[in-house]
Amino acid sequence: MFKVERKGEEFRILTHNNEYCIGCGICVKVCPSKSLRLGPIVPIARGLIDMELVSINEATCVLCGLCAAACPFNSLSLIINGESITKLSNYPKWDILSIINEEKCIYCKRCYIACPREAIIFERYLPNSKDLVRGQIFIDEDNCIYCRMCEEMCPSQAIFLKYDNEYFQSKLDNTISVNRDKCIYCGVCKRICPEGAIKVICSTCTESDEIKDPIIEGKAYIIDNNCVNCTWCMNVCPVDAIDIVKPFKGIIEMIETEEVKCKGDACHACKDVCPCNAVEIIDNKAFTDPEFCNLCGACINACPQHIRYLNRKSMQLKNIESLSWKEYLNKLLEKN
Amino acid sequence: MVVKIDQDLCGHIDNCPMNGLCVKICEQGALIEEDNDVKIISEKCDDCNLCIQNCPNQAISKA
Repeated sequence: MFKVERKGEEFRILTHNNEYCIGCGICVKVCPSKSLRLGPIVPIARGLIDMELVSINEATCVLCGLCAAACPFNSLSLIINGESITKLSNYPKWDILSIINEEKCIYCKRCYIACPREAIIFERYLPNSKDLVRGQIFIDEDNCIYCRMCEEMCPSQAIFLKYDNEYFQSKLDNTISVNRDKCIYCGVCKRICPEGAIKVICSTCTESDEIKDPIIEGKAYIIDNNCVNCTWCMNVCPVDAIDIVKPFKGIIEMIETEEVKCKGDACHACKDVCPCNAVEIIDNKAFTDPEFCNLCGACINACPQHIRYLNRKSMQLKNIESLSWKEYLNKLLEKN
Repeated sequence: MVVKIDQDLCGHIDNCPMNGLCVKICEQGALIEEDNDVKIISEKCDDCNLCIQNCPNQAISKA
């Protein structure tokens, strides 16, 4: 985290939030005063050193805000007289999206599990299992020998035996009880009981008409600042409830030569820095899945062989009014 | 091909701003700490160049 502030005709504050930064180097690339520097992203990603991903030379920064406008991941922000430039009409804006349509969501949790950035807030409230089953269970305590076989085998952990030394002299004397909120009337206890002390009647099928369809409620939403628009969630969603628009369109490739080859498992720098979980090492070579790559470029800077190439064809950064800003921001579309 | 270390530039772990980052980043065990210094085990080097790229003193280069 750094903060540069200066008061002149306007009061400008530039802040970098390392928590949202992915070390892609987009800000470094567009900075016209060369005031930003990308840190050693591979050792940082591996947890070998504790450093900020980006640092700034305060003395040369002119607080223009190009870096803040170009950062698609909300890590940099420029505030002019108390207002963020993302809210000012004459500044560029990222026309990107990451949203879960809760009307379609079935709360299956697949997006939450797949998200590489922990960017999804997820909660779900499942019905009680007792509302989905019907039946009866009786335990004849006079015949129970407290062998605990039913307790150990009950798949829903609904049977409890308790030894109470205040009441019983022998540890063999217990009390046995069934938690009817948990019992599913499966009959395992009845079948395992060596004394025939348990009776279970399952009527779930015969009374199925009376059992209402379960209602599953919950919450699922994406925290914009943590999301890197990788589309993992969108791809794993079985009901098309998620819309993601990536910041760039284009291609990423690795071109090996006779002299320089991908070192695969020996290196895996690209995989370590990828915020999208888009890189896999297959047969000792790095493979980038274009489906999940957000074309951020972190791996390009990380590759010690310099054999990764990024060719962004278009970007979702809109409303670039100034010609000089356009010139600097278009650097993001240059081939590396 | 392996790497070489410029002894004048190298911080020899004690004076390295990142306390021997090359040793930590080399997963092949080709750079090890010995007698408070960095030792190269050439046979283990896989030419991944991670040490060259990440040395804070730019003391490592191709041999």
